[in-house]
Amino acid sequence: MVSDTNPHFEDVDAETVDELLEQMVRIRRFEEGVLDEFSEGSVPGFVHLCHGHEASHAGMGVAMQPDDWLAVGGSRLHGQYIVKGVPFDEIMAELFGKATGPNGGKGGSMHLADVDRHLYGHAATIGSGQNPAAGLALAQQMRETGNVVLSTIGDGGTSRGSFHTALVFAAAWNLPVVYIIENNGFAISYSTQQQVGIDSLADYGKPLNIPSYSIDGSDPVAVYETISEAITRAREGGGPTLVESRVTRLRGHFEGDKQAYRTEEEARESNAERDPVTNFQERVIEAGHITAEAYDALVDEIDDEVGAAIQFAKDSPDPAPSTAYEDVLRLPLYGQGEGDA
Amino acid sequence: MRELNQVQAIREALDEELERDETVYLSGEDVGTFGGNFGETQGLVDKYGTERVRDTPLSEIGIVGHALGASIGGLRPVAELQFADFAATAGEEFINQIAKMPYISGGRLKAPMTVLAPSGAGIRAGAQHSQSVHAWTGHQPGLVVVAATTPYDAKGLLKSAIRDDNPVFVLAHKKLMGFKGEVPEEPYTLPLGEAVVEREGEDVTVVATQRLYHRSVEAAEELAEDVSVEIVNPRTFSPLDVETIAESVRKTGRLVVVDETPLRYGTQGYIASRIADEEFFSLDAPPRTVGVEDTPIPFSPTLEDEVIPSTSKIVDAIESVF
Repeated sequence: MVSDTNPHFEDVDAETVDELLEQMVRIRRFEEGVLDEFSEGSVPGFVHLCHGHEASHAGMGVAMQPDDWLAVGGSRLHGQYIVKGVPFDEIMAELFGKATGPNGGKGGSMHLADVDRHLYGHAATIGSGQNPAAGLALAQQMRETGNVVLSTIGDGGTSRGSFHTALVFAAAWNLPVVYIIENNGFAISYSTQQQVGIDSLADYGKPLNIPSYSIDGSDPVAVYETISEAITRAREGGGPTLVESRVTRLRGHFEGDKQAYRTEEEARESNAERDPVTNFQERVIEAGHITAEAYDALVDEIDDEVGAAIQFAKDSPDPAPSTAYEDVLRLPLYGQGEGDA
Repeated sequence: MRELNQVQAIREALDEELERDETVYLSGEDVGTFGGNFGETQGLVDKYGTERVRDTPLSEIGIVGHALGASIGGLRPVAELQFADFAATAGEEFINQIAKMPYISGGRLKAPMTVLAPSGAGIRAGAQHSQSVHAWTGHQPGLVVVAATTPYDAKGLLKSAIRDDNPVFVLAHKKLMGFKGEVPEEPYTLPLGEAVVEREGEDVTVVATQRLYHRSVEAAEELAEDVSVEIVNPRTFSPLDVETIAESVRKTGRLVVVDETPLRYGTQGYIASRIADEEFFSLDAPPRTVGVEDTPIPFSPTLEDEVIPSTSKIVDAIESVF
């Protein structure tokens, strides 16, 4: 699939284009699988799908090194788990609430965490993950690991004071952290423009002199380039960056959201014009980077992997009820059972 | 044995743990050159530098929120709040983040962090600087909540909290900061999750910590001719060492629980109900509870003294179970 020449992506090498494309397709096909299973009633609770955020997730995922941390936020999470390298089987099992999920079914769709892959779980009380991300970055700085922390949030979450507090700490301590606002224009139903009425959410970094960028988050190359630059700055001791990644939410906030706040026409236009997966697909085929046949083969291959993950989740056992009582605290507590020492 | 006050005991614990383990660091408002509100961090910044003794911007959300991430990232943060009341300003971080993240990760994330804060009334600090918060924080599964009663407790429990692999909230009582007590020269730690029988007695078990522990001792002295009072200091409120209290009640047959938190849905009722459930047939009288009668802590000395249980109120409660 790698082409020798790469005329339309001057600054990005061909392998990177491959990776971006593959990650985007992986996210979309995985989410289509989740949608089918959710419709069938196999996935408990509620799901928030990533349709429209694929380029943003792929761009940041490919820009990261495996040891960099991702503290996931916003509501579109599955794609972030995927780009951090968590296998489909494991993500699907956690979504199904099964014992074989990385968190044994205690986390689910919103709370997948994998410390070995440096994936910090989501604060589903939106906007509460940014201070822990600052702390993770402080740990990298003090321990001199050379790793960087990426932390994502939606547009809605930026109205929380905790988000702004995190920017203050990151700036004050010059932390190696990249804050990414995935602005899809809606905090559930309330449009960003109505909420805050400013042109760019990246402006929130300005009073603190945090380098801030507003980019087209439906272009994976743009996301990759901007986040790569921010990661390099952080890794070299240049401190935090704030990036607004402007994306489109192609489906409702959650599955079942009737989207009465959105006109049908507007939703249709979004889907046609700003679907990052079809746009990038056309772009790479047009550029001769990949043939239509090879693209279809890639989709088929990923669909097989999704199908296998669904089967794995279905075949996996439920967690033993008694495990609900495990992991509340690490026992024994310090010194417990040993008396005064 | 030498005597230290509680502030000195806390400072010594911080000093020893910073010295012992380079992943330990201290952060909070005015913990640097200022030396902490009560002097508990005095001199530490000179010894360990501004990296490991770091002043923070004024936000409890940031202080304890960042500490959670830092602990998951391999450090052992000690995050200080100037007053325990301010835990409420970081209520989201305490309740939804710190207490829950290790659990919902299925135990994959480890959060070995300590939050240190002075709690309690008695210094005429008003309703937002005088609360005891171990009831509502103890109500959150996933947090270890510790209350220091003596300088010996303060040092030993804080050192254990820092070494423990769970989030631990350590509360020292601000009215006891100048209180002196014996503290060994040799390093020591005290077990978390274990109560201690501080005073042995035969007729009634009084459960009490912090300032009201000392008032319970006064009450026991006052009644000494007629009643032999055993006093149990829980040390850790969550998880509670019910067995040590139960063992005492099996001997005495009577229980009085005294605590500086509001009575409604509180620690006193929880301890009494656990004993009523597990030791009903050991009891010779219904358990009694003493606490703040469901008011905020008022400012005026007369009013503050009214709502905090006095020694005579504890005496009355003990007498009422006979």
